[in-house]
Amino acid sequence: MNSDDPLATESFQQLVVEPRLPEVLRFLGYPKGVFPPDPMKQSIEQVLTRALPGLEPRGTFSIYAVRAHTRRSLALGSETIAGNIGEFLHGASRVAVLVVTAGRGITELSTEAWGAGDSLAGWAFDAIGSWAAEAAADALTQQISSHLGADEGLTLRYSPGYCGMDLSQQRTIFGLTRPGSIGVSLLPSLLMQPMKSVSGLVGLGPRELVGVNLSPCDRCLQIGCHMRR
Amino acid sequence: MHDFSKLQEAVLAGNSAAAVAAARQALSEGADPLDLVLHGISPAMAEVGRLFEAGDYFVPELLISARATKEVFVLIRPLLAKQGAQPTGRVVLGTVQGDLHDIGKNLVAALLEGGGFEVIDLGVSVSPEKFIAAVADKKAQIVGLSALLTTTLPAMKTTLDAFRSAGLRDRVKVMIGGAPVTQSFADTIGADGYGENAASAVQLARRLVGV
Repeated sequence: MNSDDPLATESFQQLVVEPRLPEVLRFLGYPKGVFPPDPMKQSIEQVLTRALPGLEPRGTFSIYAVRAHTRRSLALGSETIAGNIGEFLHGASRVAVLVVTAGRGITELSTEAWGAGDSLAGWAFDAIGSWAAEAAADALTQQISSHLGADEGLTLRYSPGYCGMDLSQQRTIFGLTRPGSIGVSLLPSLLMQPMKSVSGLVGLGPRELVGVNLSPCDRCLQIGCHMRR
Repeated sequence: MHDFSKLQEAVLAGNSAAAVAAARQALSEGADPLDLVLHGISPAMAEVGRLFEAGDYFVPELLISARATKEVFVLIRPLLAKQGAQPTGRVVLGTVQGDLHDIGKNLVAALLEGGGFEVIDLGVSVSPEKFIAAVADKKAQIVGLSALLTTTLPAMKTTLDAFRSAGLRDRVKVMIGGAPVTQSFADTIGADGYGENAASAVQLARRLVGV
């Protein structure tokens, strides 16, 4: 095995995601713990029921040994990822590069609903797609955790475009794993197709080191961000 | 002055059927269609906006209220046209070239229509030439540019530059929006305004057309 090769690569064509209304409501714009009154809640539940057959959560990851890292960079395989990610993944001895998708169907449902003038359903399908992509990333992270050794833990998950990692790093991430195996591609604008897809990095390492990792949210000025961790 | 409280309650509740029924009843009782807009729908949508700003309403509530007013407009627009009344404004909207995200743009379109604007939605990845042709053809007062990706923000400047080159920049107000967009960016590229969210985009559009 070449030293630039991943330690492991796995793909999942059917990740298990379980929709929970409170989480979906957050993606619809409701603050944590706030529930809409009944007519609206029922409408959203109906859209959620219609959305489920349209979800195709898939994911793939490759785990690499950390070749080198500084506060501003992280070297994995033959690539170097730039940005604060080196600092946030400090303590990780290995890093999983991941790509997940909720599939194309949920975006099609959203587009159809907007086209038919049903703006609430259009908005809700889109929010459900965003939730499902994040839920798929969580489910894939669970799979990654099966590669942990004794007394090891995972860092938080970091994605290009957030947390001090420029969106341009999307290309590097796509070069480090196999998004084609789950039907995800990257457009020149760095937009992933299907649109409801997530890419990112999660570190694996000694629990006492990764457990005290910095959260980028502590430094972020977007206090109202619904993704705040 | 006609009492539009039933119509306003229906709009606030996002109940399209009740809003249309209340509007029909008001018209059958002799209410003037323009009064219905000015003293029925507009104050109700202003209240919806206030509730959103106060954190009592969220995007789904905005959407169903806007849908209710849009359906009332379907009923009264022919009557307003007979009186010679114009829409609040005419807006050409689209996501800039290279960007395929349309949810933010769709949301703004729905709320603008609920505010009585006529919206010409050009869709996603719209070229500068297509924006220019639509503004010229539809005689729009506003063009709204949307982008979600930092990588497609430069296309907003390219589009504005194209309007300048076409000699149309002085004839149309340009508003921009999207997650990576800031007031500072709007100032840098010379846009006329930036909407932090869909509700504020509607307020901005009203200001830009002088309502």
